[in-house]
Amino acid sequence: MLPENITAIVARNERWSGEAASEPYEAGWAREAIFFVRALKQPLGRAPTAWVEISPDGMRWVREGTELAMPDKKDGIAVARLSHFGNWLRVATHFDNGAECTVLVTLHLKA
Amino acid sequence: MTISTALSFAEMSEAMRLAQLRADPSLSRFDPLPRIVSFDDFSRGHCGWSQLVGNYEDDLDTMLPGYAQHSSAMLSTLGHWDAGSHGGLDSSYALKIATRPKPGAQNVAIKRHTFRKRGPIRFELFFTFKPEASELKLSETDVRSIGFLFDLQGGDRDGDTERVMPHLRFLNALNGQHLQKWQYKRETTHFTPIGSEEKTLSHYHLAPEGWLDLPDGEQRLCYNEIPTKVNWSYLRFDYDLETMTALGLQCNDRSFDVSGFESIRIPAMKNLWCMLNFCLFAETDVAKRAFLYIDSICISGDF
Repeated sequence: MLPENITAIVARNERWSGEAASEPYEAGWAREAIFFVRALKQPLGRAPTAWVEISPDGMRWVREGTELAMPDKKDGIAVARLSHFGNWLRVATHFDNGAECTVLVTLHLKA
Repeated sequence: MTISTALSFAEMSEAMRLAQLRADPSLSRFDPLPRIVSFDDFSRGHCGWSQLVGNYEDDLDTMLPGYAQHSSAMLSTLGHWDAGSHGGLDSSYALKIATRPKPGAQNVAIKRHTFRKRGPIRFELFFTFKPEASELKLSETDVRSIGFLFDLQGGDRDGDTERVMPHLRFLNALNGQHLQKWQYKRETTHFTPIGSEEKTLSHYHLAPEGWLDLPDGEQRLCYNEIPTKVNWSYLRFDYDLETMTALGLQCNDRSFDVSGFESIRIPAMKNLWCMLNFCLFAETDVAKRAFLYIDSICISGDF
């Protein structure tokens, strides 16, 4: 039997500004995960650092430790590789006033 | 005494089929028609249930807002903050369709087939639903609805020229009122041209307008006593692809009269021949995520 893998789209064409995060995604069956964050449009303002968060319950979030630089140009792609995350995963970031990025966030999971 | 009970070949075949089904622990809880099209238990992955993405052309901004909110279904052990993983009927995993935390938000998972013969099909599943357990309250009116739809179109030589979309939902609550009833839909929204090449149209058939009560369609399901306890329910919908009419709806111990059921019917589209799509959806009534969980699904046909 081949190992399971899935490509999940967790945010598509979402305009992120201020406090932003992807919707919670359950990935407890997977041994490894990669987040890709692609800028679908030219970002405005300073491109912030984003970080990966894990959760005990899908509602309360703590930083996993991995950070990624948000893309600073259209079609730029940020990447985070993960291999120890329990069940729930999301990407979060914070934009300065006036800054924003329209994102496509994809999560690639492999058993 | 001699008992002359010579079974015909057809009767013998059916008896053997039923004996094998009932001896199979994974299929015994279903009543499939003679041919199983697909059997999905979500311990083997997503089994082809992907997100319903809206139509677009050139720019994702052209996607209708109803579709733009959709995201990918996930595999869940129904892990709860207070009781840990609930698990499925006979595996750890279920398919989870989660809305965003915004009143009226919806999410839809879809499985896309085509058919090879127009005849009866049967859609059976074990499901449950709950809101996100973000409050220490029963929260029984937080999920607005859960439901399913088919998206069908005849073959290119069939002569009928309709796309047919039977929709059914269990309206659990609306604006905080606990309604608990089955509804169907026979009208969609208007078609919106997408982009500039006049090749693509879109319509949001899950818009809140136009739902009608199924006669005697009230049903109180097993919701259980806190947001983190769930019970699996059985659901079955029978449909005839030849006449494009509903044949039956059953949920747990109740069978419903579908003689007045009607589907959404719209003109056939030029590239959807023999389409046989199945969708499952969830909708929240409050600013809290609604979760529809599916333990397993068996789709079968008589062909």
